[in-house]
Amino acid sequence: MNRQDLPLKNDIAARFVPKIVALMVYLGTLCFVFTLFMVHSTESWEKQFSTQLTLEIPTTNKASSAVLQTRVLQLLQRTPGILNATPVPHKEMADLLQGLLGEEVNVEHLTLPIVIDITLNGKEIVDVPTLEAHLKNISPQIHLSDHRGWQNQVSGLIHTSIMIALVVTVLILLGALVTTTFATRTSLLIHRQVIEVLSLIGATPTYIANQFQRNAFKQGLIASGIGSGLAFVTFIGILYLMENAGFSATVRSSFFFEALCVFLFVPLFTAASMMISVRFAVMKELNQ
Amino acid sequence: MSEVIAQFEGVGHQYEGGSEIFKGVTFDIKKGSFQFLTGPSGSGKTSLLRMLFLGLKPTWGSIRLFGEDPLIMSPNVLPFLRQKIGVVFQEFKLLDHLNIVENVSLPLRVLGIDTRQGYRQAQELLDWVGLADCHKAYPPSLSGGQKQRVAIARAVITRPHLLLADEPTGNVDDEMAIKLLHLFEELNKMGTAVLIATHNRLLLDSSYCAQLLLRGGTLITKPPRRMHS
Ligand SMILES: Nc1ncnc2c1ncn2[C@@H]1O[C@H](COP(=O)(O)OP(=O)(O)OP(=O)(O)O)[C@@H](O)[C@H]1O
Ligand SMILES: [Mg+2]
Repeated sequence: MNRQDLPLKNDIAARFVPKIVALMVYLGTLCFVFTLFMVHSTESWEKQFSTQLTLEIPTTNKASSAVLQTRVLQLLQRTPGILNATPVPHKEMADLLQGLLGEEVNVEHLTLPIVIDITLNGKEIVDVPTLEAHLKNISPQIHLSDHRGWQNQVSGLIHTSIMIALVVTVLILLGALVTTTFATRTSLLIHRQVIEVLSLIGATPTYIANQFQRNAFKQGLIASGIGSGLAFVTFIGILYLMENAGFSATVRSSFFFEALCVFLFVPLFTAASMMISVRFAVMKELNQ
Repeated sequence: MSEVIAQFEGVGHQYEGGSEIFKGVTFDIKKGSFQFLTGPSGSGKTSLLRMLFLGLKPTWGSIRLFGEDPLIMSPNVLPFLRQKIGVVFQEFKLLDHLNIVENVSLPLRVLGIDTRQGYRQAQELLDWVGLADCHKAYPPSLSGGQKQRVAIARAVITRPHLLLADEPTGNVDDEMAIKLLHLFEELNKMGTAVLIATHNRLLLDSSYCAQLLLRGGTLITKPPRRMHS
């Protein structure tokens, strides 16, 4: 029979801690899952940046540009680390420009540069400055844009925000633990007479701490389960709203699996940490 | 020579800011012994019992309990020494949020004995002390005498090596007092050393045991009265 010797279920700590823990877990899991969401949705984006170069050949007259284009493509084919290089079709460029400039501008009259999309194979390192030098030999007007510098900045930013989000999550959980520890001290004070009787009849500090920790685990599991459940509902709601507003993020299905793990694991982790911190608090107090 | 459970040598005690209550108390409790501790109110009977269950440290002198010196032993040993001692507290110290069966079975639970078995033993003991019809009652709803009997049942349920009872009959009628005395004697026959602090003349007169008289901070041992054949 799982009886409690201490009336822990109805003291102030019991009424106060679950609410705080539920709130903290709610915030913590949301923060964690959104971080995960960010990691996933920026991953594919980042990958694209790191394997893509763009090359621009200005067109002065059609014939010479065609020659330039052939020479450039030959050079690119010889360069190690390049998977493929495809010129963007003229029509596609024109449509894109038309879209940007509006119907009143006739793009047919504009001379569009030749744009070549280069995809790197990602295995070998492409020596961009040397490639650029070779290109300048063909024509000094050729412009190679490397997105990787930019990509470094963006991914730096993403990683910083991920770190911040993780630190916030950890701080929130730590907050829950500190709250639990303080509540435990209050609880020890409230029940000091019962604890005195228990120790007079030979209860060890471990026996008394077990009562507190069992209670803390149960309490923590229920409270953080509620917090995590609410966070799950909120997250689904936000995704739904985002989709309705037209932000359809492309994340792999593994994200949903990982998010589900977070929603399930955080309550367990919180309850276990609460249990351990309560045990420490009680043992420390009783051994004094 | 029979085994000594507790030994006091020149023990003195002074509460902080109070006067000296013991001035060199020397005595021992042997295994299987039965003794009364008497003395006027305020002479220090409760304080002496508190020293015996390690609730109070002597200011000077030395104590040995089950071979251990409480002043130097590891704090981890304390609960295990207390598990060998049953105490009936003068103010009962029952847990108000547990019913009386749960209260009485608590020492067994602490020892890790199955809860159901503990309840069964507690119920038997409660029946024996005349509380058969209130197993489900909570201490606040009991009379002083009923609480006292619950406290006694809790103290004896583990058949401790040493039973310390502080005024265990202060709230019951004479008939019940004698019945409780028999309970202590039964326990004593099974090997428990018993020390009862009491003013109760009836109890003192109906027993042939040794008496320890506390007066003015000193302890005088009165040998057992001889039984008239
Ligand atoms: N916690 C305490 N702090 C200070 N003085 C105390 C404390 N407990 C008891 N005393 C004092 O020690 C003396 C002995 O008290 P104790 O309770 O041991 O007496 P007693 O013999 O059990 O009395 P009674 O027969 O009334 O129960 C008393 O003078 C009392 O005032
Ligand atoms: Mg007293």
